[in-house]
Amino acid sequence: MRDDIRKIQEMMEAAEYVTDAPVATSVHLATRLRKPLLIEGHAGVGKTEIAKVMARMLGTNLIRLQCYEGLDAAAMLYEWNYQKQILHIKLHETSGRGASEEEREIFSEPFLLRRPLLQAITQLDQPPVLLVDEVDRADEEAESFMLEVFSDWQVTIPEIGTIKASHPPYVVLTSNRTRELSDALRRRCLYLWIDYPDFDKEVRIVQLKVPQINQSLARDLTRFMESLRRMRLAKVPGVAETLDWAHALAALHADHLDEALVSETIGAVLKDADDIKRFRAEVAKSGLGPLLATP
Amino acid sequence: MVRFAAALRRHGTPVTPEHVTDGVRALQYLDLADREEVRRGLRAVFAGRPEDFATFDRVFDAFWRPTTEADRVAEALAPPALPEHAPPGLERAGRETLALDAWQDEGDGEVGDEPVSVPAASELEAVAARDFSTFSPDQLDEVFRITLRIARRLARRISRRRRPSARRGRIDLRRTLRANLTRGELIDLRYRRRKRKKVRLVLLCDVSGSMDLYSRFLLQFLFALQSAFSRVETFTFSVRLTRVTEHLRARSYREVLRRLEAVRDWSGGTKIGESLAEFNRRWPALVDRRTIVIILSDGWDTGDPDLLAAELLRIKRRAGRVIWLNPLLGNPSYEPLTRGMAAALPLVHRFAAAHNLAALRELAGSLSL
Repeated sequence: MRDDIRKIQEMMEAAEYVTDAPVATSVHLATRLRKPLLIEGHAGVGKTEIAKVMARMLGTNLIRLQCYEGLDAAAMLYEWNYQKQILHIKLHETSGRGASEEEREIFSEPFLLRRPLLQAITQLDQPPVLLVDEVDRADEEAESFMLEVFSDWQVTIPEIGTIKASHPPYVVLTSNRTRELSDALRRRCLYLWIDYPDFDKEVRIVQLKVPQINQSLARDLTRFMESLRRMRLAKVPGVAETLDWAHALAALHADHLDEALVSETIGAVLKDADDIKRFRAEVAKSGLGPLLATP
Repeated sequence: MVRFAAALRRHGTPVTPEHVTDGVRALQYLDLADREEVRRGLRAVFAGRPEDFATFDRVFDAFWRPTTEADRVAEALAPPALPEHAPPGLERAGRETLALDAWQDEGDGEVGDEPVSVPAASELEAVAARDFSTFSPDQLDEVFRITLRIARRLARRISRRRRPSARRGRIDLRRTLRANLTRGELIDLRYRRRKRKKVRLVLLCDVSGSMDLYSRFLLQFLFALQSAFSRVETFTFSVRLTRVTEHLRARSYREVLRRLEAVRDWSGGTKIGESLAEFNRRWPALVDRRTIVIILSDGWDTGDPDLLAAELLRIKRRAGRVIWLNPLLGNPSYEPLTRGMAAALPLVHRFAAAHNLAALRELAGSLSL
């Protein structure tokens, strides 16, 4: 294995992210080839974490663009602070200034609201990590806009001029696969798929993040989560839920699982009423045993 | 690397010249003695979807081998044999099968390539009133083209209907500001037209037995309407659910039919409840307030009607509208007495027919929220 990649793996583990070779390889290539990295996977498996860890590893800022339905260019790039501009006009209306001078004044730096993409372009010291989170929630128009920005790394604001990135950012995009992303975006990016971790990996994650929990409880609850994921649930719980549950159990000073405890704390894991009903029915029928058994 | 890319392309993975250059560049940063590392690195570059991983692995293994195994390489690289014609129809009588097979053997021109003879208005009405299953194989093709033309025209009409009216909306600060730079007061107000969010369409089509023919008409009709919607997702089901949205995007009509052929299920019997359950489990995010869900089925269900009702209720709670299309409604003496249909009826917003062109046209009228 390449030393760089091994080093990346070590650095990620040091930053408290349990990782494996595919993740480290993709992160390595993304940083060297300077291509955006598209990370897809189910909810709660640690996609966003990778960007945060990358920023920590590279010792740089993390700039986050949270996508949502209806996200448009203004929200991604910049907007003028209209309220401030209007106030400014009001305050100076008796000063006898001409329109063009007024215009120059209010369309300047102090009145510019920089949104994440513009922030990412205008970092002074070093390239930041730009995290475009849940890009599948935005639409194709937003994607094309992003791609345009990613290709030139420069932006033209009519009133100010053209701003060119002195340090093009590292780009990480995450997606929960609720929508098929455009081919143009996929072609532009390196691709990483993150699946649910296997048993050993998940136990390691629990022990790393929630050290107060004893080993056997960590193994039990991981086994339990695995069984849950095999049930036909509406909202399949991810690693985030595993950790939430571990924290909850640790807070209750639990050292083993029993039906009462599980029933009290299942809300940390299952977030859908129908799922909880189905789960309780399952436990009422066959108890905890089958859920804790090795498959 | 170029040959490797070509091999990938032959096996169906979309590969561009940029991928090739990235592949070469990536090799600089990978340990070339570590085969698995090279595989992981090249996979990140070339495979853009988990579905492509298997193909990538196969091609990678076949390609990067010591030269002494040249023969095996050549063999492994031969593209999978694609059937020239669809597998012969099963022992099934019935005009629908004949009609569709005949369709497939026809040339692979794209629909709309050849000039369509425009039937006179009265002829068109006669055609529109006939049940799809009454057409002979050669007529079906023509009817199909007419269907698409009608669909496209309707699509334009639907989009136009949705353009915002002249009513005022919220104030647009930016334009207001610009219009008032010379004055201190904001006298001249500019309004922002509310952005109309488009409707999304989800189709669940029963393709078991005789439903197949109606499903195809509906699928293509709605697919042609898709410019009027922000998104059209299509699924087929009989005993299991298959997402066919991508299949309908094939380049030629023949290709579309060939792909749909693969999801045909003549095994008889539909498990509607199970299929809806699978849909709810795997694609919950598709259904929201701005989605219209259309289910096309005759309601002959061999599954559990309680399950059907429960899953349909889940969809109804989340969707903007649920429409159930039943071709049997074309028969005036039909009554929805089967347990499946009876269970579903109270849970849908609209229950309509889909057995001929006239019915499809009317359907288009209710496709707005």
